[in-house]
This record gives sequence, C-alpha cells and structure tokens, in this order.
Amino acid sequence: MRRGFNPSLLPPHPSQGNPMSIEIKNINKRFGDFTALDNLNLDIASGELLALLGPSGCGKTTLLRIIAGLETPDQGQILFHGEDATDTHVRERQVGFVFQHYALFRHMTVFENVAFGLRVRPKKTRPTEAVIKKKVHDLLGLVQLDWLADRYPAQLSGGQRQRIALARALAVEPRVLLLDEPFGALDTKVRKELRRWLRRLHDEMHITSVFVTHDQEEALEVADRVVVMNKGKIEQIGTPEQVYDTPETPFVYQFLGDVNLFHSRVHEGWAEIGGARIEAPNSPNETTATVYVRPHEIDLSRDASDSAIAGVITHIRLLGATVRLEVEVAGHEAVEVELTRERYQDGAWRVGDPVWLNPREARVYTAG
Amino acid sequence: MAGASNNVHRSIVTTESRSVRWLLTGLALLFIALFLVVPLASVFYEALRKGFGLYFQALVEPDALSAVKLTLIAALISVPLNLVFGVAAAWAIAKFEFRGKSVLITLIDLPFSVSPVVAGLIYVLMVGAQGWWGPWLIEHDIKIIFAIPGIVLATVFVTFPFVARELIPLMEAQGSEEEQAAMTLGASGWQTFWRVTLPNIKWGLLYGVILANARAMGEFGAVSVVSGHIRGETNTIPLHVEILYNEYNFVGAFACASLLALLALVTLALKSFVEWRAEKQAEAARRDATE
Repeated sequence: MRRGFNPSLLPPHPSQGNPMSIEIKNINKRFGDFTALDNLNLDIASGELLALLGPSGCGKTTLLRIIAGLETPDQGQILFHGEDATDTHVRERQVGFVFQHYALFRHMTVFENVAFGLRVRPKKTRPTEAVIKKKVHDLLGLVQLDWLADRYPAQLSGGQRQRIALARALAVEPRVLLLDEPFGALDTKVRKELRRWLRRLHDEMHITSVFVTHDQEEALEVADRVVVMNKGKIEQIGTPEQVYDTPETPFVYQFLGDVNLFHSRVHEGWAEIGGARIEAPNSPNETTATVYVRPHEIDLSRDASDSAIAGVITHIRLLGATVRLEVEVAGHEAVEVELTRERYQDGAWRVGDPVWLNPREARVYTAG
Repeated sequence: MAGASNNVHRSIVTTESRSVRWLLTGLALLFIALFLVVPLASVFYEALRKGFGLYFQALVEPDALSAVKLTLIAALISVPLNLVFGVAAAWAIAKFEFRGKSVLITLIDLPFSVSPVVAGLIYVLMVGAQGWWGPWLIEHDIKIIFAIPGIVLATVFVTFPFVARELIPLMEAQGSEEEQAAMTLGASGWQTFWRVTLPNIKWGLLYGVILANARAMGEFGAVSVVSGHIRGETNTIPLHVEILYNEYNFVGAFACASLLALLALVTLALKSFVEWRAEKQAEAARRDATE
C-alpha cells in the first residue's frame, strides 16, 4: 500500500520564494558531423515545470546536459537568474540532476547516497553529523522510502531507485532540478503513479524543473509548458493545451497523438479530400497541401453525401474505453477513426459496412 | 516427482554417454596432474629430500637472503608504481574520449607482446656502459645496469600492463554516470575518485595488484639481462635459483624455487579469495534484488 504524499514532511528549502529563471541563448552543439543543437533559444521561467519533448536524437538530452554543465556548448550562453553561467563548473551550478538510469552509488547504502552531497561539502559549510542525519531522513520521508535507508541500490525496485535519485538530488538544495527521462525505465503502472507524484512534489516545492521525455502523454500530463523539439531545433513552445490543440507545425501535429494524413491541393481557399472540403483561408492558391485529421475528430455516417469521404470499414479493434475502426478509402491509404464505446454501439458498426467520413477538425499545411 | 523424472530425462538427452564422459574427464585430470601437480610437488620433494635442516640452511644462507631482499625491493617499488599508473591509465581510457586512445592501449600491451629478454636489452641499450646515456651516467657515477635500479626498471616494464588491463574493461562496463552524479552533487575530482571510483573498482584493483606482484617476484628474462648475476648483490630469487642449479646445488636451488612455488600458491589462494568476495557481493545484491 503506497502512502499519500505528505507536504508537511518537506524540508525547508532556500529556493522557495526565490526560484530561478534560466535563459538559453543561441546555443549550438555539434558531435562530429551531427548537429545536436542548432542555434537554440529558450527562456525558462522561475518555478515552472518544463518538459523537453521530442523523438530520440532531437537534442533534448544534450540541451539538458548543457543546462547542467555536464556538456559544454560550442557557441551560446546560459544565464542563471540573469547571470552568465556558461563557464561555471557543474559542481558550482547547484543543479540537481536525476539520471535516466539513476546513477546511484552502488557501493553505498540509500542513506549514504542521499547524504553524499552534504558530506562532500568543504569543512566550513559541511553540516554536523546530526544535521545530516535529520536532513537525510526528512528527504527519505519526503520520497516515502525512509524504511529503505540501510539497503543498497541493487536491492531496490526501479521506482524506488528513481525516488532515491530524486532525494539525493534534492539534498544539495539545488536551484534547478533537471531530470533525464525520469520515468523511461519503469513499467506503465509505476510510471503513471510517479508522474502524478512528481507533479505534486513540484507544486509544493516550486523549484524550477526541466525534464526530458519522448512520451507525449507524460509531457502533456505533468508539465506547465512543453517544448517540442526536432532535429536540434524547437518546433513549438506552449502549454499542453496549446501544443495539442493548435500545433504550429506538421511535426508537432504528428508527434502529439495519432493522425491521418491526406494529400490535397488548395483551390481558392479550400482543400478537398475525397469530397470533403476543408477551409484553408491563408494558403496560397493552387499549392499542394497536406491535411491532418486526428482519428477522434472524424464523424461517421451511413448517409451518402457529396461532401464526405466514402469508404468501407475493414477492421474494428476494441481498445478498452475506445474503439478504433480502419476505413478503406479509394485512392488513399486506410483512414483510422476513433469512437467512444457508446458511439460505436449506437452506430452498430460492422466490418464491411459502407461509411461516409466527415472531419470535424482538420489542419492544412501547404508545402514550403 | 514429475519434475525429478523430467530432470533425469533431460540430463540423458543433453549429455554424452558414460564412457565418453569418463574418458574426457580422465584425460583432463591426467593432463593437469602431469603438467601442474607433479612438477609442483617435485619442487618441494627435491627441496626437502635431504631433510629440513639442509632446506632451512639453504634459505638463510647470506646469498639467498640477499636474493629474497632484492626480490622484495623490486616488488615493493614496481607494484605501487604500476598501481598508480594502472589506475591513472584505466581511468583515462575508460572514462574519456581522446585522440590516440587506441595507440595508448597498444602501448600498455607492449610488455606482454615483447620477449622479456628484449625488454631487458632495451635498458642495456639505453643506460648500459655502451648505451646512449651510458657515458653521461658513468660521469655522474650513477649505476643502473648491473645494479638494483636496472632490476627495478626491468620489473616495472614487464609488470606494466597487469593493473591497467584488469581495470579497463571493469571501468568501461561501469561507465561514468556515477562520477557525473557525484560532480552535480558538488564533489571535487579528488573526492569523486576516492568516494565513488575507487570503491567501485577495489576488487578488480586488488586482483591486478596480486597478478602484478606474482610477476614482479617471478620475473626471470628481463631481470637476467640487466642484473649481471653478482652474487649477494644483484641476484633476485629466480636468478639465484639458476646459479645454484648450474652449480649442481640441487637442494639449494629447489629450496629457493620452493619459495617461488609457495608464492604462487599464496597468490592463487589470494586470487580465489578476491574472486570469491567479489562474486559473493554481486550475488548478495542479485538475491536481494529478486526478493
């Protein structure tokens, strides 16, 4: 039985009330011929929880490591609270870094792992043994793992290791918390629990936090703002609603959720796909265009219509609360339609039924 | 019961017939007895053939004592040197990317691929009386060849790779994330090394040191070239054994040889203990993890 999150266990935190902003200016980073970061700019507000979202190789981890000081940019500047931190050594940056595979010290107990950051301080600022003990136990209480203090990392489960890594990072009272794929190595159930837990933790501590993920669901659920990255560049920055509802580029549209693609031409402000007309007011006339429609934004009808896309249902897959239909459309690859269980039952759809598709929402991106 | 009969069934399917098994096991044991056990036993047999009295007399004779002393000196200097160098080289190779890394790895292996005699000759060529720096050294009254420094140099050379070779694969497997984590937590390079890196490699390091020590004390070829075989002065135990043997002093030769054989046995025991400790630690961690 997992106990609930208890904010009263939080240790007093110096960054509370004085969280830190981060400015990233014109950062370039290359590894040989590979451009990891391409002239990247990003402002991170004080106290926010920011997600760097993108496919593998998009540069998100490199950016995180540059913020931490574990990697140096070829060009550009990092400002911590308005001060240039580009040449500040990682050990002076006061960042808490949680590694993807936790990087716990394998020969130390959980207690010693969390105490490490306090023990390595110079003699003048090193707390006494009693203070260290209290602080470590407070932190272990915060991550609800006080009872594991004497265990070794190899004796912990993945989720436990993750939380110990977090406690260890928080022990040094970091000004920024950086997490590299924090839930990547965990199974789905633990991942969902930890996700909510991290969000609640952040709401209590208000420490500026950045986490890297390739999982759009994770980014949308946890973050205040999401930065969608691709090929070393930022595609879009916005709240989870903004990036999901109004994707600025085809990449963002495709990366955040499933999508059907239709190739079309814009003719006098309209793009036509198999009879259905999609408004494209700002697109230049007579250009090729790609129309994106999400599977759950398509209505199904049995009534033949000139302004809908005609097709035949070829597959039906029941996925718990939703149902996915695959519809074959002449001259096009199969279209996916997602219905709620009720709408599927109301329609009494069967494989082989002729059907007309009506996109409720669609976005048109013209080439170039 | 079903499980047991299954096992029996499986073992019949997956093994050879009884006669083949006996033959192969017997051959292996015979080979080990013939080439390892019998020679080792014969060393002690020959050494003790004329009684314990003569055996101990051969060991406390001044020339023998001096050989033991020199061997210990050579090992005491070369092993710590190789320990420091081995850790530094393994650290550099395993944790950093730099130009010329593969060249460095090859260089570390050089003493393994070069004949020990050549290794000794290299020093004679460089610092011998007729060598490159010979005249300068004579002028300043520094004796290296046919003296203790030469023996130490040759020993350092032949034991060069042991510690580094043992540590490089271990450190590469461990990666550098723990060190990075230590740095983000504010640890200095020195603190990171002592508190994180060293504890993680201690058993591998000890293993490398044990092997390097065995080689340092047992080295013959390279040391033989630079030593000059001066009795009571520049003879190590292996060289002393050879001289005694050539003089038909078999009891003396085998008595000293038994020291080296004992060293080998102690090394093996230590090595097994270190392996057992490391394995036990790993096993305990695995067992607790699956609890």
